[in-house]
Amino acid sequence: MHPPRERWVHRRASIWTGRSARGLALTYFSLVVLIPIVALITHAFSHGAGAWWSALTQRESLSALRLTIACAAGAALVNTVAGTATAWVLVRDRFIGQSVVNALIDLPFALPTVVAGVTFYTLYGPHSPFHLNVTGTWIGITVAITFVTLPFNVRAVQPLLESRTFHAEAAAATLGASSGRVFRTITLPALAPAILTGTGLAFARALGEYGSVVFISNNLPYRTEVASSYVYSLATSGQVDAAAAVSTGLLVLALTVLASVNIATRRLARSQ
Amino acid sequence: MRLLLSRYVRITSAILAGAISVAGFTSASGASPSKNVNVVGYSVVGPAFKALEAAFAATPAGSGVTFTNSFGASDTQTQNVANGQAADLVNLSYEPNLATLVTAGKVPASWARQEYVYGHVNVALTGKKAQTTFPTPGILTNSVVVLVVRKGNPLGIANWSDLAKSGVQIVTPNPLTSGSARWNLAAAYSSQLQIGKSGLAARAYLKQFLANTVAQPTSGSAALATFVAGTGNVLVDYEDDARAALAAGDPIQIVTPPQTFLIQNPVALTNNGLANPYAVSFYQYLFSAAGQGIFASLGYRSVLRSIWIATESQFPRRTLTNALWSVTNINKQGWNFVNPFFFATNVVFVKGSTTVPLVGLATYYEQFAGAGT
Repeated sequence: MHPPRERWVHRRASIWTGRSARGLALTYFSLVVLIPIVALITHAFSHGAGAWWSALTQRESLSALRLTIACAAGAALVNTVAGTATAWVLVRDRFIGQSVVNALIDLPFALPTVVAGVTFYTLYGPHSPFHLNVTGTWIGITVAITFVTLPFNVRAVQPLLESRTFHAEAAAATLGASSGRVFRTITLPALAPAILTGTGLAFARALGEYGSVVFISNNLPYRTEVASSYVYSLATSGQVDAAAAVSTGLLVLALTVLASVNIATRRLARSQ
Repeated sequence: MRLLLSRYVRITSAILAGAISVAGFTSASGASPSKNVNVVGYSVVGPAFKALEAAFAATPAGSGVTFTNSFGASDTQTQNVANGQAADLVNLSYEPNLATLVTAGKVPASWARQEYVYGHVNVALTGKKAQTTFPTPGILTNSVVVLVVRKGNPLGIANWSDLAKSGVQIVTPNPLTSGSARWNLAAAYSSQLQIGKSGLAARAYLKQFLANTVAQPTSGSAALATFVAGTGNVLVDYEDDARAALAAGDPIQIVTPPQTFLIQNPVALTNNGLANPYAVSFYQYLFSAAGQGIFASLGYRSVLRSIWIATESQFPRRTLTNALWSVTNINKQGWNFVNPFFFATNVVFVKGSTTVPLVGLATYYEQFAGAGT
């Protein structure tokens, strides 16, 4: 009963599943991700664990890491709320220019981050047309990171909203539940895994952000220098191993967050 | 709006310049690669080299020679060359950068003597009549550290001591990546010794100077862009860079403090460059009266005595005692002492401690400033 074309696709697919596909995927993954990470860790520990630890816990490193984590967390929180709301509006609402807005959501991914940084500097810098100067503050850094990571939350939540039928919500409403209660008890739990995934990705990405931040932060060591900028300074002043050591800190942090999100979303999915 | 746009372009180009230098931009333009010279320099000297290369290409020796340029923060550039970026001629911010390249095997240990062998100048080396303004060999350009303020000098900044006053916001590059930053901090400390203060007072001054610092961009050029974009009210800068900015029409004013610091930027042919006859003849051109004349016209203080005497009147004249100090005035060992003295990294500030640091002064006081906020 299969139409001929579909059978052909099926036969071709069988070549690309199984061993050869797995080999290809693993080779690709090794070249692009695994080998660079192993090289990074090798660099970080090339002078022993003691040197790694002392580079990672240098005062400048710690203050840069602390600032980066705080700003990345702040940006992720803002995007969790704002990104989900944006996705909601894009799916559940109809307005003029909607498709344009939808297309522009990905702009932060497409725009070189340096350009984003310079734009923020002119808008929210010393000569701000709004008389709003946030350069050299954690607010400025957070604003830049929020912009760069916005698409993660929107694009994680949007497909789920689009595929939802909202029958349960309608039923709850007819049974007399307030709209707040419907959102809290039905919609939010259903969206939670997607929201969490978006937030985790945004946070992990924010930890490494450089281009948009380096200018607006004013790059003051121990005060407004972010981790990526400190790593850049170390790497370009002949301290590649120390740069790698600080990078492992960011790496472990990002992996921990992503793994926790993964576990949490699975638990949430199972509980429903 | 137009001003906003011009600032935008300015900042973008400063950042992109940094990015390109990191990438190690090495695409020879058009002509046969055998007549190409790879030039690697610190960020601020870029425009001067463009002018020098054009002038050199117009001479018989330079006819048909092409250049591949890379300019960026000095320590970054040094590291890129040490890691294999193509370079025939390097002009870096301060001498320790060349020591790094000697260790990496890219530049011969005798690089400073090239000034005598290929440049045919230097009092100390040739023993002939005074040809250079200072005896230090291997130095391509001199400059001094100046203070750049907003047009009209609203805070009335006149000397280094004024920078320690409350409310002053200083912009100076990051010493981890920028050579300019190291000159600036050495100059700030030195300024107090020059006016007769004790070493202890100079330390206290440096501490206040760093507490007043509001931005440390990655290179000298990025620092100028940040200042022009509106951050801070004093930029500590190379005199030549400040003069170029003034000539370009930026709304700034240059304050040359009564006592300030001599900047000496070294140049060298790399081992590759020594085998490249065009690089060698370009090196020679840099030390010629024509080459040094171009530097002088762009605000540098020429190392060639004849050119310096002819152009001296353009620069503020200082006849005070201790008007100009160099690294060897801080300590006879020069940078070998000065570098760890200010920038040793393994220094930890303990909150509440009143201990006076012995080395790594800048590192220490920056932590102090960080702990206060």
